[in-house]
Amino acid sequence: MTNAHRLTSDSIEVPGALEAIETYFDKGWSDGLPVVPPTPEAVSTTLEAANLSPDAILGIEPVKGAVITAEKAAINAVMAGCKPEYMPVVAAAVEAITAPEFNLHGITVSTMGAAILLVINGPIANELEINSGVSAFGPGHRANATVGRAIRLIVMNVLGTRSDDGLDKATLGHPGKYTWCIAENDQARPEKWEPMHVTRGLEATDSSVTVFSGLSGAQFGDHASNTPEGILNSFAERLYPLGPQVTEVILAICPEHAAHFDREGWNKEQVGQYLFETARKSAAEWGEMGLAVGPGDKPSESRDPDESVSALKSPESAIPVVVGGDGGAWSAVIPTWSLGSRSKAVTRKIKTNG
Amino acid sequence: MAPENNGTPFRVLDPTATQSIATDGMAERPESLAGMRVGLLRNDKLNSEPLLDAIYDVLAERFDVSSAYRVNKGDASRPAEPEFLSDFSNEVDVALLANGD
Repeated sequence: MTNAHRLTSDSIEVPGALEAIETYFDKGWSDGLPVVPPTPEAVSTTLEAANLSPDAILGIEPVKGAVITAEKAAINAVMAGCKPEYMPVVAAAVEAITAPEFNLHGITVSTMGAAILLVINGPIANELEINSGVSAFGPGHRANATVGRAIRLIVMNVLGTRSDDGLDKATLGHPGKYTWCIAENDQARPEKWEPMHVTRGLEATDSSVTVFSGLSGAQFGDHASNTPEGILNSFAERLYPLGPQVTEVILAICPEHAAHFDREGWNKEQVGQYLFETARKSAAEWGEMGLAVGPGDKPSESRDPDESVSALKSPESAIPVVVGGDGGAWSAVIPTWSLGSRSKAVTRKIKTNG
Repeated sequence: MAPENNGTPFRVLDPTATQSIATDGMAERPESLAGMRVGLLRNDKLNSEPLLDAIYDVLAERFDVSSAYRVNKGDASRPAEPEFLSDFSNEVDVALLANGD
């Protein structure tokens, strides 16, 4: 029995592709853009590419107990425009976003409006041509565009987290909610820096997806600094507006900046250590910025005003990701939802058939 | 993978799902608030406390409620822990929750 015969989702008969696209708009099943009509054959082929049974459970959203089956994930992946060979990435990403520490319900319904950023590491990034270089966060690359979109469609259609009549209550929203997927730039990564998935416990030969609850990033140019310290001081200026003791924050480091770390022989741990030690203000200064020191929304009144408080909770709070094109000294700070205190990045190995 | 629109109808699949492992239903509704201990469960947001207090003031004025029991679950983004809810439910007859941004 082929997978196509084992699919259990309701089906609709449509007279043609354009009518199918309009049907998905009418039913509120799109993200506002046209979708690829998910025929049983296309969904079956997608499932087979990842060696998944339709009824396999890829994840359960912990708060509502909503089940995400491989069949529903594959339907949405086809709709997003994924090639069948992208399905192992989508499946691993579903596993990652449903890990309790990611707090999927919180990040997707919150007024804070986080998007889900996928960072791909390992051999599969090249195999699927996931862009890590020029305009990595921009359009024009099918794998980046459709894998990220598949995850958003799953969140909208399977979990009901929509902004029209659903659970998404973001005040401003985020363009990354259409799609947000990159690979780490292995060519530009300093020699002493291990890839992110190795830092997070996997083997270099593994392929992985790491999910972040990303908020709007702050891009900055630093074409003057030619030392790691100078570049990190520029990063620090973009950390301060987030407030003190950020638990997790992404440092999207462009190749031109990364080259200075390589030349000076810095390892990756030094990045977080330097920022933790030097990106500091007194408790009084944080207070003057209107930013709370300590947990909760209320500014702490028990702190010594002169106490030195780091922008980071720990050296490990800074998560460097080398990404982008060779030209230009443009890097970015990308905060995460609740500044990482209630949503942790999660990495999952991608299971391929090869 | 979209089929050509060659005049041949074809079938497409529903991408939505409602499958859930959650089994909890709604609590039984009380017929009267008279004599009830009212739980006020705030979610750590600054305005949840005054919002709940304001609602309780109305309840106290209009109904013969017994008392207020105020707790903070400490995290707006996650459900309260089962043990916390169990302790809370032992202290109250009805409960009000608030999300006060």
